[in-house]
Amino acid sequence: MPNKTISVRIDGELVTANEGETILEAARANGKHIPTLCYLKGLSAVGACRVCVVELAGTDRLLPACTTPIQDGMSIKTSSAKLTLYRRMAVELLLVERNHICSSCVSNSHCELQAMTQSLGITHVRYAYNNPRLQVDMTHPRFVLDHNRCILCTRCVRTCAEVEGANVWEVASRGIHSRIVSDMMDKWGQAKSCTNCGKCVQACPTGALAEKGMSVMEMVKQTDNVTRLAEQRASH
Amino acid sequence: MPRILDIGVFNAVRESGLAKLMPAIPRITVGMGTCGRGNGAEELYHALNEAIQHSGLDVMLTGVGCFGSCFQEPLVSVRLPGSPLLMLRHVQANDTGRILEGLSAQKMPSDLLYCKIEEWDHITAHVRYGQGYPDIPQWNAIPFFKGQKKIVLRNCGLINPSDIEEYIAVGGYQALYKVLIDGRPETVIEQIKASRLRGRGGAGFLTGNKWDFMAKAKADTKYVICNADEGDPGAYMNRNEIEGDPHSLIEGMIVGAYVMGSTEGIIYVRAEYPLAVSRLNKAIEQAREYGMLGQNILDRGFNFNLQLVQGAGAFVCGEETALIASLEGFAGRPHPRPPFPAQKGLWGKPTNINNVETWCNIAPIVSRGPAWFAETGSAKSPGTKVFSLVGKVQNTGLVEMPLGTPLKNFIYDIGEGAGNGRHVKAVQTGGPSGGCIPVDMLDIPVDYESLAQIGSIMGSGGMVVMDEDNCMVDVARYFIEFTHSESCGKCVPCRVGLNKALRILNAITSGNGDVDHMSLLDELGRMIRECSLCGLGQSAPNPVLTTLRHFRDEYEDHIVAHRCRAGVCQELALSPCENSCPLRMNIPRFLELYQEGRLEDAFDSVIMDNPLPASTGRVCQHPCDNRCRRQSFDEVVNMREVHRFLADSIYQSELFEPMLERLKARKLAPTGHKIAVAGSGPTGLTAAFYLVMLGHDVTIFEERSEAGGMLRFAIPEYRLPKAILRRELDLIEGVGVKMEFNVRVGFDLPLNDLASRFDAVFLSIGTWKESWLYLPGTELKGVYPALPFLESVAKREKTSMGKRVAVIGGGNAAIDSARTLLRQGAQVTILYRRERKDMPAIEEEIKAAEDEGVKLVYLAAPHRIVGDADGSVKAIEIVKTRLGEYDKSGRKRPIPTDEVQRYECDSVILAVGETFDQDFCRASGLALKEEGTMVVDRFTLETSRKNFYAGGDVITGASNVSNAMGCGKQAARKIDERLTGEERWESLFPDVEYSRQAPGEPSLSRRHEGHCLPAKARAQNEEEVVEGLSAQQALEECQRCLRCDLRAAVSAK
Ligand code: SF4
Ligand code: SF4
Ligand code: FES
Repeated sequence: MPNKTISVRIDGELVTANEGETILEAARANGKHIPTLCYLKGLSAVGACRVCVVELAGTDRLLPACTTPIQDGMSIKTSSAKLTLYRRMAVELLLVERNHICSSCVSNSHCELQAMTQSLGITHVRYAYNNPRLQVDMTHPRFVLDHNRCILCTRCVRTCAEVEGANVWEVASRGIHSRIVSDMMDKWGQAKSCTNCGKCVQACPTGALAEKGMSVMEMVKQTDNVTRLAEQRASH
Repeated sequence: MPRILDIGVFNAVRESGLAKLMPAIPRITVGMGTCGRGNGAEELYHALNEAIQHSGLDVMLTGVGCFGSCFQEPLVSVRLPGSPLLMLRHVQANDTGRILEGLSAQKMPSDLLYCKIEEWDHITAHVRYGQGYPDIPQWNAIPFFKGQKKIVLRNCGLINPSDIEEYIAVGGYQALYKVLIDGRPETVIEQIKASRLRGRGGAGFLTGNKWDFMAKAKADTKYVICNADEGDPGAYMNRNEIEGDPHSLIEGMIVGAYVMGSTEGIIYVRAEYPLAVSRLNKAIEQAREYGMLGQNILDRGFNFNLQLVQGAGAFVCGEETALIASLEGFAGRPHPRPPFPAQKGLWGKPTNINNVETWCNIAPIVSRGPAWFAETGSAKSPGTKVFSLVGKVQNTGLVEMPLGTPLKNFIYDIGEGAGNGRHVKAVQTGGPSGGCIPVDMLDIPVDYESLAQIGSIMGSGGMVVMDEDNCMVDVARYFIEFTHSESCGKCVPCRVGLNKALRILNAITSGNGDVDHMSLLDELGRMIRECSLCGLGQSAPNPVLTTLRHFRDEYEDHIVAHRCRAGVCQELALSPCENSCPLRMNIPRFLELYQEGRLEDAFDSVIMDNPLPASTGRVCQHPCDNRCRRQSFDEVVNMREVHRFLADSIYQSELFEPMLERLKARKLAPTGHKIAVAGSGPTGLTAAFYLVMLGHDVTIFEERSEAGGMLRFAIPEYRLPKAILRRELDLIEGVGVKMEFNVRVGFDLPLNDLASRFDAVFLSIGTWKESWLYLPGTELKGVYPALPFLESVAKREKTSMGKRVAVIGGGNAAIDSARTLLRQGAQVTILYRRERKDMPAIEEEIKAAEDEGVKLVYLAAPHRIVGDADGSVKAIEIVKTRLGEYDKSGRKRPIPTDEVQRYECDSVILAVGETFDQDFCRASGLALKEEGTMVVDRFTLETSRKNFYAGGDVITGASNVSNAMGCGKQAARKIDERLTGEERWESLFPDVEYSRQAPGEPSLSRRHEGHCLPAKARAQNEEEVVEGLSAQQALEECQRCLRCDLRAAVSAK
């Protein structure tokens, strides 16, 4: 079914978009930048991190760009003082929720959370750190899951389910106690359905999922590969 | 009974149902909802059953649902053939004998009688029970029911919910029959649209539009779902609706399914509602049996299956998409919309979800039409809504009211206010994520838009009333704790944001708040509201945002002064009594010290907390009594009388001098700072005492020739003997406070002079000017304001008031004047425009005045004072008032009637409130508030002028002695901090050792009161009316203390 084109405004500029696209897709197709964290091209969007919020011009409603379909005649604002504040707050909240200590992280300098912190100009956080005591799961022969660094974006969950089809990952518990778990068990090494493909590791935006044997700053993720595989799969 | 396949059988079933509802024999029903069962309905039912069997009487006994007035459970209705239905309340198993006897006597026990129902509008039918019993009030004449309109609850508490025939008897399933026979689904959808019925689950979407959307969706299977997963703490509307009338819900769903083209229905109900589940199962089974469910319904070729699914009761499942996820077997986490359930819902099929109450409205709308429906409620929100009214109101229960009814009608008319002399402070609507609405906004109509506008929500209809014993910060904390624990965790704002908000609120309520916290919370709340994925997060911050907006004071109190006025935040208080005392006296400490036989230590503890312990021991309003925990055991500890006793013991013995020496020794080293205090009333004396103890050089300037202010010149001798006050003044002068008399600050001594001679000035000149009432005749000879009158008496000046005197007012000054006049031999009448319970005077004083023979006339507003030929008072005329609506003070407003009464009298005393001379403030650059009090910082008591502080009645308006002293104490602390730049306050107080052992067994002794002289005799003279406790009584009183402070001591470690 060929998609109808519709016209919309993004930051005042009149552009065309395809019906059925999300605001994010339309914006990116037109060279507009909207920050994202939980979104990964090729995977279904879940709207978890809320850094992609945009304003529906003329109203005070905020919409997550990654999950909201764009509609004919919509006028979108991708930046404003309020949006910057709220995006910063979302990232600040992630920073205090768990233990993000970049100096000892394999993903230091290659981390999407760190990059987002920088690009939003966050230099300190105003809330007290939660400092939870969290586990590091080293049971898998090739990979590590460090809950301290997880931001619960569920990119791993979706990659495993939608690209590899193995459905290893799931979010257990609720609220602030939510955790990524494999196969309903605690230990990744014992997860029978894991194919050891490592795609989740590549999809993970932080150092939460990493290859074993990496030292600080060495873990560079291949998110583009995940996207490519996902798109190939979708086109079949 | 066969399946109903034609109208003939339908009518036969209906007749059979009516024969059960209104049998030719007596019928007794028992309210057997969860609320009734909780109050002993089951035992009652069994007892009745047994008694009936035993007696051999021909009586029909049936269980029904809840009739709404949960505070009167268990409810029983009794009907004799041809007679009205009689409602009995608070019926217990041992009442059965009397009830059965009543059947033959045709008279029910009067103590159980509640109301009667002569006829009932079941909306889908009208039932006439019969007339009679003129003395018993109609059900809708009872305040709790007045104004209620039962559409959703039309059958609840009247029919047997387990018998489909009774439902059919009152018009049930007729709407369904009609819809199926007409066979035009579009028309029904048009009807629902035209009715403008809005979803009763919370968000208030138009039901008709939702149905239309779903009807147009094309799919082989479509689902209709009833969301009965009521998850709000304290809300139980849906539970009672299902328990009382399950078929109403089922009929609504069948109609909905038919017109939207669905064949599958699911009721998602909380597993924690076992009774509702069993009633629903039974109802579904019966509906199937009678041909309302399954294949070929009512022989009209329509098929519909309905099943029950029990949910685990997660709050987030109120969100449609989370509910669907849960039904599919996933964790209850919401999904972004679109796609909407009507496009892609359960198992990817079009799905329509409505809440119980919405479904219950369908049959009435179909049978009576949209125009009828729109007659009730407001234009935008027609119909009714069921609320659960709980909290600090006298009447609690399920209330069905037209939408748009002002909130205050719920609180004051239906709920009849807080009761017990308490005042409603706020109402929280909409469950845990609703907002708190302050009492001065209770005029707002309860509908979707109005509530949203002030930051609250309709939600599913929870309504929690709060009074001054509720701490609004704690309320916010409590609700955030709830929503936080219910957050699914999917999106960041709700998962982490609520967690942060909770941690901040925990810090504030435990005394670790920070001034930044308020803005941080506000910003966080807005972000969570605007950025969260689903309704849970979007509404969860409401309690925080609204309390921040409307009760900012309370946040500031907690953060800045570590004070929780409501006494809820335990970590901020030593004990409930300490927290309620305006001087924050360490009450358990002096009680313990005296109990240990350490009179002097006990007194030292008292005097450092309260420099006028003998005076306050006599005249304080003793707010400590209201909070003492011993209340729940027997009676409160008489703390006031104990510190009076301690003071009297020291003052009247040789222990006085050594005590004074100890005090002087405790003074901090001289600081060289000079401080002036204007006014030597309780406020000024207190401030001066502490400032001297802190090492400052303090001079009090007093306008009169003696010190004491109101204690000396307003409070009569028989309440506070001057000799006692003199002793307290000796003490205060003894520690080094200097006094200069006959100097009027602002007049004889300009403020500029004070400013140049002193480092700080504290203004506590009191409110000595009587507010003048606009009243014809006040210019007559013989009209006096109360305070100058009391002052003349205190100065032993001659007053000639005549034989008969009228006093206008209801405060302490009115009572003091009246009792003083009585002692001068006059006949006194107090005229007050409200009722006795509204009088601001201390209760014991009112009682004493009555005992002594003062005549009190209530609901009497002064009309005019009548004079004789030479311009002297001859009589006063008053207008009788009646009580109208509640005003902002939570009291009913007196409204004048036409009735005028006349009282002959020789003089009139006006005691209608006091103020002070404001001209000098204006002239000397001290800002005033509109209501005529001085502007000060709430915490530091600094006025608008540098180095000038103020406290007492000049900042609060006429108040009472201990409040005024509390101000003086606070001022001393703040002035010292400002002058020295240090926090030296704590160092004033000695660290005295005393037992930290909780009493193993609390003493069983009852409360001791000071003995009163006989009323007749005492009214003849000025002798002190209330004698103090004896040493033994004081000791026993001390032993009664439960040592609530020890909890604090333990948790502090
Ligand atoms: S492990 Fe990584 S990919 Fe998975 S949820 Fe956590 S941060 Fe996201
Ligand atoms: S029992 Fe004792 S400590 Fe507790 S409130 Fe009463 S007087 Fe105070
Ligand atoms: S990128 Fe849109 S919510 Fe995370």
